[in-house]
Amino acid sequence: MPGDLRSEFHQQLDEIQTGIARMSAGVTELIPRATDVLLSMDLEAAEYMIMGDDEYDRRAIELEERCFTVIALQAPVAVDLRSVVSAIKIIADVERSADLCVNICKAARRIYGHELDPHLRGVIQKTGDQARVLFKEATEAYLNLDGVRAAALHDMDAYLDDLHRQLIQVIFESHAAGHIDLQVAVQLAVVARFYERIGDHAVNVGDRTRYIVNGWLPERPYPESDNDPPTVVMVPEIDNG
Amino acid sequence: MSDRQATIRPTGEELPDMTDRLDTPADTGVSAQKQDPPTGPDNRIVVENLNIYYSAFLAVKDVNMVIEPRSVTALIGPSGCGKSTFIRSLNRMHEVIDGAHVKGSVFVDGEDLYRPGVDPVAVRRKVGMVFQRPNPFPTMSIADNVLAGKRLNSKRFAKGEADALVEQSLRGANLWDEVKDRLDKPGSGLSGGQQQRLCIARAIAVEPEILLMDEPCSALDPISTLAIEQLMNELKSTYTIVIVTHNMQQAARVSQRTAFFTIDGTGQPGYVVEMDETDVMFSNPKEQSTIDYVTGRFG
Repeated sequence: MPGDLRSEFHQQLDEIQTGIARMSAGVTELIPRATDVLLSMDLEAAEYMIMGDDEYDRRAIELEERCFTVIALQAPVAVDLRSVVSAIKIIADVERSADLCVNICKAARRIYGHELDPHLRGVIQKTGDQARVLFKEATEAYLNLDGVRAAALHDMDAYLDDLHRQLIQVIFESHAAGHIDLQVAVQLAVVARFYERIGDHAVNVGDRTRYIVNGWLPERPYPESDNDPPTVVMVPEIDNG
Repeated sequence: MSDRQATIRPTGEELPDMTDRLDTPADTGVSAQKQDPPTGPDNRIVVENLNIYYSAFLAVKDVNMVIEPRSVTALIGPSGCGKSTFIRSLNRMHEVIDGAHVKGSVFVDGEDLYRPGVDPVAVRRKVGMVFQRPNPFPTMSIADNVLAGKRLNSKRFAKGEADALVEQSLRGANLWDEVKDRLDKPGSGLSGGQQQRLCIARAIAVEPEILLMDEPCSALDPISTLAIEQLMNELKSTYTIVIVTHNMQQAARVSQRTAFFTIDGTGQPGYVVEMDETDVMFSNPKEQSTIDYVTGRFG
């Protein structure tokens, strides 16, 4: 039997996958930069990050169009089909995550000039780090089509959800102690949610990687609990006295 | 034959309602042995341990397969893997070649087509075949082409009866509107796609229960191909259809279940690698050789 009879087509698929992985690796690096921008209040870096997002949007559209072309011209089936369909969805997850990093930078602009206490800074740093770890794992699982690694993302996301809860709690406490005013507290709560959403997108990338590898699909397609923000159990009493 | 005992079969098991089965087709893979043959005339084909020979040469080995009634089953695979040989064994057309024979069983409605004493001509009346190249009788009129099979099979019939059968069969083959004004003209004057539909009309005129199609579109242009595919979609509510096709997209478009045949090398027998729902075969097949074939990755 001859070798691969559709080598050009399969090369196109490989290039799409590499292109997405490269974009995803870029987002993996955006996450700690957004955290740095937030903690250092570096307005110039924030501006730079916000402007850079256009490039991610452009690459996402370009990669998506390549997927559509492959579907139209090559009629992919089996693993090839799963790979293209997943690519289209992963592109959206990666592009959205880049947007969320930009949103963190925009929040940084809004709280400019306000001091954050060390405890709050520490939990923000941990949450940002965990979001980055998730995205890095998702990127590498996708690039290497490693289903086992992809499957581990759900557990890693549970830890990020814990950190999200903790961060909200610390924001409340910081506000109650008078370290941050209400506007800053609200902005930071939204930032906490952005990190949590980045984690969800990483989990989605992992799930779609598993679909490519062996056709695995979640039993219930994307259960709401995965994408909803974790419930904050403890609501502190705000001392108005 | 070694497996005659397989013809003695339990008949007590109730079959689900037909419409119910169309909605949720039973997961009947290649391992057909566990399946009981149908008790009613629903035209399910159950193939058991079928080995097909050309004299001493084993061409296709150990086929176990259930072909669901009133649906389209596609057979795909590389050239020489035995798809055509296999489909021809389903109406005993295979044995018209000198020395060709089979071992094993093909049950239709629980009746083994290869049971001693079964008349092959009666089998072919029940199981019609459409071939790769349209083959209308060139000198016969369109109407006579439709009636040819029926005339071979039975006595002469009244003019009105013949006209009704011609119309009914041509309508069934989606050809009536195109030829109703020239029924007395030769069938060879039609386009390739029309000729193929004429052959389908001829096949269904003898009121078969099963239609076998051996690459029915490979000699046709894309529009005629779509017309035949559309027709298959309509015919499957009445007939059990088995189609051999080299066009995987066609298999994906027309069939509900797909079987993948392959061959390990020249001189080796062909065999069934995998059979499943068509959407599974083209989205997530299980066997590596199926994946390699449908995605074009060989070797």
